[in-house]
Amino acid sequence: MTPQSPRKPNHDQPPRKPRLGPRPQPVSSPGTVACSGCQRRFVKSRFDAALRVCPACNHHNRLPALMRVRNILDAESYAPLPTPAGERDPLSFDDGMPYRTRLEHERTSKQVDEVFHAATGTINGIPAAVAAMEFSFFGGSLGEAAGLQFLTVCKAAVQRGLPLVCFCSSGGARMQEGLVSLMQMARCTAAVSLLADASLPYMTILCDPCFGGVSASFAAQADIILAEPHARIGFAGGRVIEQASHGKLPAGFQTAEFILEHGMVDMICERKEIKSVVATLLGALEQEGHARSS
Amino acid sequence: MPEAADPASVTAREAQAFARVTLARHPDRPRALRLIELLFSDWTELHGDRLFADDRAVVGGPARLGNRWVMVIGQEKGTDARTRVIHNFGMPHPEGYRKAKRLMLLAQKFGLPLICLVDTPAAHAGVEAEERGQAWAIADSMLTMFGLKVPTISVIVSEGGSGGALALAVADSVLALENAIYTVAPPETCAAILYRDANQKARAALSLRPEVATARALGVVDELVPEPSPGAHAHPLVVAAALKGALVRHLCDLEAQPRDLLLEARWERYEDPAPGSIPPGSPSA
Repeated sequence: MTPQSPRKPNHDQPPRKPRLGPRPQPVSSPGTVACSGCQRRFVKSRFDAALRVCPACNHHNRLPALMRVRNILDAESYAPLPTPAGERDPLSFDDGMPYRTRLEHERTSKQVDEVFHAATGTINGIPAAVAAMEFSFFGGSLGEAAGLQFLTVCKAAVQRGLPLVCFCSSGGARMQEGLVSLMQMARCTAAVSLLADASLPYMTILCDPCFGGVSASFAAQADIILAEPHARIGFAGGRVIEQASHGKLPAGFQTAEFILEHGMVDMICERKEIKSVVATLLGALEQEGHARSS
Repeated sequence: MPEAADPASVTAREAQAFARVTLARHPDRPRALRLIELLFSDWTELHGDRLFADDRAVVGGPARLGNRWVMVIGQEKGTDARTRVIHNFGMPHPEGYRKAKRLMLLAQKFGLPLICLVDTPAAHAGVEAEERGQAWAIADSMLTMFGLKVPTISVIVSEGGSGGALALAVADSVLALENAIYTVAPPETCAAILYRDANQKARAALSLRPEVATARALGVVDELVPEPSPGAHAHPLVVAAALKGALVRHLCDLEAQPRDLLLEARWERYEDPAPGSIPPGSPSA
């Protein structure tokens, strides 16, 4: 790490206000996308090449799980880690639209099976397992399948003696699975303790947004916790708190900068710097290599 | 798809489902401090998280169950206007969970089994709770409890809501009083999330199946402690006696196991913590 590291968080711009209404829909033209921070439009391929960090306002737009995983791993080293998703609807939940129908619709429209995408590979030469949560799928919510996926990743990491890096982004529990969803917090806790028992480093990167049952379980249980700039992070949602406390929320409430100030994360890390920071820290934690098996 | 739902019957079923929530929240149900008084002797309350404050929504300390010393941690809702405010309606702040963690580690250090009495609508949602890391406190409490090298029992006394309840319920044995509820979030919050309208709490209650019989069917709760009709609020002594019997029985079973087998069984339990399911069309109430 150089002292003049550009990964210093950009505090110049005001944190983005939580968006309560529907996403504004600017006039679109083919092949371009809008930054959800400043609404400026960019050519999609170039925007993706910049990892969807806005060149104009530095807003870190949401990134699909697959892109997060591929980006942190060295090219050629990426090997997908199968994480079977399962098909259960434990409560036979139906409040107008059956949960199964909703799930099928999400799977078809979002082109992913479940919340997690995982792979193994190397990060600047350091072998690691990487998992990322797809917020666009059911709000990244932690249901039974996602809990099983996380457990599967942890088991694979332990079996192969790999550290785990997990990008967390979720609205929290999946309400349609009720208590089964809540219990995934315990399941993921058990999974994290597997990594700890094997003395394998476990790092999380909290991405916008990260709340509820995810922030209150495996996201917060890591050895080292990073956060992306301006990501909204907390336990209860801002709207719930505003209603419950009948008061105005402080400026920048529940942003990455806010929780850094309150001592809850190790650092804020610009997206383009995450790979080198993670590699450096994994290198530090694995200096002794005592956990490595082959 | 079932036959087109008759709106009147749906409303009636929703009302019935929410009545269970109301029963679990009955103001006269025995609270943690009352149960501690009925179940244990020599209870000595210990205060504070050694970091920030003493959160009165969580009470804890050593006590004797029969002649066995145990560590007791409970979520206390309060019993009247004054004590409800003191105990914040049973909604802990981060310091409550950090006090719980401290007492768990104290129990482990001196080999005391842990008994948790869970009774909270949810963890406190507020600015200060977020500033002091509510998510981190809950996550840490769960991780500590999961790794504890002493037998652990949790009882869902009345209301087990959200991670705020689970933070004290990652136990070897989980019991529940028959009329308690155990939910991913209070029905009001679920409705706010699912329908963007907290007033549809009855609709949420019908779909979420909050009654602990569901938790039992899912495999989350091991045993339901019966409550004579109309419920524990009318028969606190009878219910406390039944709960005490169940606690002693489960504690004996857990203490009889070698510690490594205990921890292995705990791992197996939480590897798949809710394997059961509720068949479609089964009535909620």
